[in-house]
Amino acid sequence: MADKHAAKSKGKEKDGDPAAAFRTVRDTYLDAWSKTMVDAVNTEAYAKATGIMLDTYLSASAPFRENLEKVMVQALQQLSMPSRADFVSLAERLTNVEMKLDDLDAKLDHIEKLVTKRASAARRRKPAPAAPPVPEEAS
Amino acid sequence: MAEPAVVTDQFMALAERLTSFSKAVTTKAPIAQTPKQLVWTLNKAKLYRYVPVVPREKRHRVPLLLVFALMNRPYVLDLRPGHSFVEFMVQQGYDLYLLDWGSPGPEDKHLKFDDYTLEYMPRAIRKMKAIAESEDFSMLGWCIGAILATVYSALRPENGLRNLILLTAPLDFSHKQDITFAKWVDERFFDVDKVLAAVGNMPGEMIDYGARALKPVDNYVLNYLKLWDNLSNPQVVEAWKAMNTWVTDNVPLAGGAFRQLVVDLYRNDRLMRGEWIVRGERVNLSRIRANLLTVIAEADHITPPCQSESILSKVSSKDKELFRVSGGHIGIMAGSGAHRVTWPHIENWLGKRSQ
Repeated sequence: MADKHAAKSKGKEKDGDPAAAFRTVRDTYLDAWSKTMVDAVNTEAYAKATGIMLDTYLSASAPFRENLEKVMVQALQQLSMPSRADFVSLAERLTNVEMKLDDLDAKLDHIEKLVTKRASAARRRKPAPAAPPVPEEAS
Repeated sequence: MAEPAVVTDQFMALAERLTSFSKAVTTKAPIAQTPKQLVWTLNKAKLYRYVPVVPREKRHRVPLLLVFALMNRPYVLDLRPGHSFVEFMVQQGYDLYLLDWGSPGPEDKHLKFDDYTLEYMPRAIRKMKAIAESEDFSMLGWCIGAILATVYSALRPENGLRNLILLTAPLDFSHKQDITFAKWVDERFFDVDKVLAAVGNMPGEMIDYGARALKPVDNYVLNYLKLWDNLSNPQVVEAWKAMNTWVTDNVPLAGGAFRQLVVDLYRNDRLMRGEWIVRGERVNLSRIRANLLTVIAEADHITPPCQSESILSKVSSKDKELFRVSGGHIGIMAGSGAHRVTWPHIENWLGKRSQ
């Protein structure tokens, strides 16, 4: 992307754009910066540094997070209200029900197709029966 | 010294540019406009069927299912009218379906590749086959979607899959020196269980940061500079806005799937080594017999080409092709040149095999 950017600027310079010289310098610098950064993030040192930062954040925030969760669960219990865990369990059960319904739906579709197929095959085999005689009206 | 009027004009012009720039960065573009119907749902997953525009007798007989990554919205395949792979394929006469995984909630943190490939995909495919009235189907997987498509194809090869298209598929994790993500998630530096214990699902923002950090200057500086330099070009601005709308619309990745991605794939390369066990079944790539097209982006920094090449030697498919496109991970399908190179090649390959 940086290369393309620099190439575009060079094109504009040829067209006599007064700011082209500035843009060429800018893009050349950005291009070099981009390549340096790509190389920098691709090192073990970068991976280690980000790993340490993430780990520090997680370790520092864990006690707060755990305590907040405990307090929240206790408060919800006191108020006789469902907790996140209750909702999660309910949602998982609903997904299982959904899957069973989906399977039932597919089976019904299959049965319907078979019945329709058989009925149309039977209709093709037999000519339609003649209409039954109309009984005489009782006097 | 400049005249006050000239200075005022220049200041006004600058203010106008800043307003346009801010508007482009902060407003969302209208995206995913190709008409579609929702035909199936399960939990957060949705299966859409795009409304055909070609009469039935002229359409390709074999339907095509698009499977996108778990942590991005799939509408990058249908970004905006005139620049949409979906629109292009519908116009070419395909009965087209899109599997949208949706956004996992806290209740989905245990979802794994096992669930996606053996619970969700078979059911979505069953529905698609019923609607299309076809036992055969084609499948296109992109990025993590390509992992899902590959695993499904290996585990259920008898289920009617005729054509498999893999776009920028991260399947081979053996070249660790060439894969930046592999370095970042190395077990010496990244404690995946500690992260997941804190967040449940891997937040979309963290994944987005990871993807952008691979090319920090390009993504955090040059991307905006490109917009600034082209503010007077409405076409470029529209394209930029559409892409920015997609890039900033992040989806979390289910914790279970993220853990598998890190431990089983990035760290231990279990798929390519034939050691990946998905719900008790070993994923054996040699069981894939479908016609295979693998598309590789030569300048892909997210999935370097070395990750997608070796699949061809592992499958049993007799009809297989590797297609290299110059461009990046997203650019090959959603960039300005996609409609000239990638889409026609895919359509041409698939068309011959969809009768």
